[in-house]
Amino acid sequence: MSFFQKDLIQNYKIDPVLLLVILMLLMIGLITLSSASSAISENDFGTPFYYLNRQLFAVFLGSIGALFCLMIPIDYWKKIGPLLLALGIFLLIIVLIPGFGHTANGSTRWLKLGVMNVQVSDPARLCIMIYIAGYLVRRNRQLREGFVGFLRPMLVLGVASLLLLLETDFGATAVLLVTVLSMLLVAGARIRDFLIFLLSTTTILALLIMQFPSRMRRFSGFLDPWDENVVFNTGYQLAQSLIAIGRGEWLGVGLGNSVQKLFYLPEAHTDFIFAVFSEEFGLIGSICLILLFVTLIWRVFRLAIKSAKADHFFEAYFCIGVGSWLAFQVAINLGVNMGLLPTKGLTLPLISYGRSSIIMTMITLGILLRIYHELDSGYAPHSKSKRKDQ
Amino acid sequence: MSRGAETKEEISRRFIARTFWVLGFFILLSFLLLLRATYLQVLNKDFLINQGNARQMREPTIMAYRGMITDRNNKPLAISTPVDSLAINRKNFLISPQQLNDLSELLDIDLQKLQKQIKANNEKPYWYLKRHVSTELSDKVKALNIKNLSINREYKRTYPAGELVSQILGYTDTDEKGIEGIELQYESWLRGVSGKKKVLKDRKFRSIENIGIIKTARPGKDLKLSIDLRLQYIANKLLKESILENQAQYGTIIVLNALTSEVLAMANQPSFDNNERASLNHSLIRNRAVIDMYEPGSSIKPFIIANAIESGQYDTLSLIDTSPVKIGKKIIKDRTEKGAIDLATILSKSSNAGMSRISLSLESDKLWEMMSNFGFGTFSSGGFPGEARGELHHHSQWGDIGKATMSYGYGISVTPLQLAQAYAILANDGIHRPISLLANQLGEGKRVLSSATAAAVRGMLEKVVGPDGTARKATVEGYRVGGKSGTVWKTSGSGGYTEDRYRSFFVGIAPLDNPQLVVVVFIDEPSGEFYYGGDVAAPVFSKVISESLRLMAIPPNYNTSPLPPLIADLNLE
Repeated sequence: MSFFQKDLIQNYKIDPVLLLVILMLLMIGLITLSSASSAISENDFGTPFYYLNRQLFAVFLGSIGALFCLMIPIDYWKKIGPLLLALGIFLLIIVLIPGFGHTANGSTRWLKLGVMNVQVSDPARLCIMIYIAGYLVRRNRQLREGFVGFLRPMLVLGVASLLLLLETDFGATAVLLVTVLSMLLVAGARIRDFLIFLLSTTTILALLIMQFPSRMRRFSGFLDPWDENVVFNTGYQLAQSLIAIGRGEWLGVGLGNSVQKLFYLPEAHTDFIFAVFSEEFGLIGSICLILLFVTLIWRVFRLAIKSAKADHFFEAYFCIGVGSWLAFQVAINLGVNMGLLPTKGLTLPLISYGRSSIIMTMITLGILLRIYHELDSGYAPHSKSKRKDQ
Repeated sequence: MSRGAETKEEISRRFIARTFWVLGFFILLSFLLLLRATYLQVLNKDFLINQGNARQMREPTIMAYRGMITDRNNKPLAISTPVDSLAINRKNFLISPQQLNDLSELLDIDLQKLQKQIKANNEKPYWYLKRHVSTELSDKVKALNIKNLSINREYKRTYPAGELVSQILGYTDTDEKGIEGIELQYESWLRGVSGKKKVLKDRKFRSIENIGIIKTARPGKDLKLSIDLRLQYIANKLLKESILENQAQYGTIIVLNALTSEVLAMANQPSFDNNERASLNHSLIRNRAVIDMYEPGSSIKPFIIANAIESGQYDTLSLIDTSPVKIGKKIIKDRTEKGAIDLATILSKSSNAGMSRISLSLESDKLWEMMSNFGFGTFSSGGFPGEARGELHHHSQWGDIGKATMSYGYGISVTPLQLAQAYAILANDGIHRPISLLANQLGEGKRVLSSATAAAVRGMLEKVVGPDGTARKATVEGYRVGGKSGTVWKTSGSGGYTEDRYRSFFVGIAPLDNPQLVVVVFIDEPSGEFYYGGDVAAPVFSKVISESLRLMAIPPNYNTSPLPPLIADLNLE
């Protein structure tokens, strides 16, 4: 535990841009949430601050978690990778056991933990990313040279995906898939293996979509939300979201002035918070928000490259995982809000309401800050050498 | 392959290269998103904003209330009170069993009946569940939070005085449009014109912002009637009593301000309560005082007398032969032979033979002209819905019989209101003022009779209620009154007259030395002990006058001063 005291006060090397972007997104998120959730909160709980207060508390917990992660050497995560994988799979299984899971909107994604319901896909994803990053360092050669080395992480991914699909969390499955595949790609997986897998999974996914009539209907609602058979039906939410975004025009209707959040747009404070943000801040706001996310992701990828250059491959793979996850989830969420993709139950990271999601996101970003710190301060990445030093 | 032997630099290089692929892919996505945002928020915004407006903008009606109707003392007679109507605003209205239960309890509708009603209206996009419920009740319904049940503010007409004034006021339909009586006559004055505004609404149909007024609402204007509710009450009460006592069919009382011709009371019995629209009996709606016309019988006689004096052929001292008058086959005779008597006695003894003889001696065109100047055969009240004009045949159609019978009130038809108006001319020293049902609407006076003649006739009217007259029961303790009774056979369906069904009139003026009121009492088909106007209608007149004058604080005058000089010498009896 000695590294704790040593590093606690002493100058941490923090990526200023990364930290600034994260804080800005958090601020925008809280401000937008306070506006988007006020009406529904007032309606359901008699106070406009119900969701805001809960989110504020989650941000507080997330900050503590992030600070904690800032103090944990990356090596530690690397070591407990397999353990974390077990934990992740365990979480995905236990949520499916009746009595433990909490079902909302027809999906069993939340684990009842007394204080709050935890969306298990968030911690599970972190666990799997850490495990895969470790695996890619350990078995890099197998990955590059044989199909078996590619298949093993795929097996993990397959099990996790299956469990997520059982929760009917389609969005999280897709995000996890893209995340792990990106990690495998950058770690040197053969393009051939990669393409075979990509092709087969997309066909499977397409078949799956067609299997579920509810998804098919959502899909048709997405194709033409203004069709009169659809607009008050499966296309309703999307139509309302598009109206909100359109109402924003160039400069927006102003903070707090959204009309669509007044019960027109369902899930205005969670999955469709971007629509409310766009309505209130206009195209200028939309562009700024998208550019902030681009900056965030660019910074994460930059960190990955820096790590790779310093031979810190575990960190590099992990960063690619985090960056891909964030980028893909943001892209899907915005795409859904703007009618480019069929409706998914995916939140906008750092912005949407969702306490376990915001806590896990902040913890993950805390680990990234630690990675930057270790790189910049020359912190010995390998526990062996460090222990020898002491 | 020598891949296994790759150096860390090679791995790193490939890592970096592939990282750029992935990053590039995401950057591409972000461009797509930026383009899409630009499209939605700049290029497609008009379409989207219109779609939004179609859902968020509403143009609700601003309800305007209907003007209030009051009596002359500002007592409300008709007021519009806010009520709510419950409407279902979608097809296939769905409601949970719990809500249905609560609703049926609140609205006091049987559960099965309510279910049936909902089922029956299943195909309608908008229908009223219940109209005009109290605002307290609608608040409770609102608390049930039933989806697609909308609560609309409306106004409902209520009539605090109920049956007392119902026939004058008439009533409105559910949408507050006047369809009878004053409500119809003054529809455009009373009606409120609703406006329209534009508001932004949230999805729960709550207004969140007023965008603007499209059309301003104009509330209806108030209307003040000349009716005095207290006199109206007295008239109704006495009329009811009299109808009961005389086993009559119906009756009418009119109380007119003698000087201004304002209608102070106009009662018809039996009446109806215009608050209870559901159980409407159409024969009770008739404002018989204005709508129905009758042969006036002897109550017309004072005007023939007035004509006689005005013609210069007669004065108060002239003696008229009352032996039977023979016109062709028709013989007009009195029940008892009275010999030659003066005008006052003709009136007080109600001699038809004498009247006929006078009438026949007058110039037809002058007589006709004066009779129409008295208001017979012309509309009196300026547009009361359904008002009758009465019937005064042109003199060219009279013939001798017509001219003679008219003098005692047959072959001429008048409404009770016309009769009141004509007596008001006598009371008002010969000045004819148009009848008014509105307060403070003094019409232009027009002299149709010299004040001397008017005074002379008034003097004669006093004799009618005097000890030798036919209407002694019309006297009022403490006041000098005068008037004339009338009893007519009812016409039968076959065109002739019935022998046993009568109508009784009494029309009088009080106090005679300072005329304030003209009262018409009309009782249809008295079937009790009496049927003469002097026995049936005169006592009602007496009571109406006595109660009304007391109410109006007009002091009684016990040491009765003599009447004006012109008639002072009328004591030939």
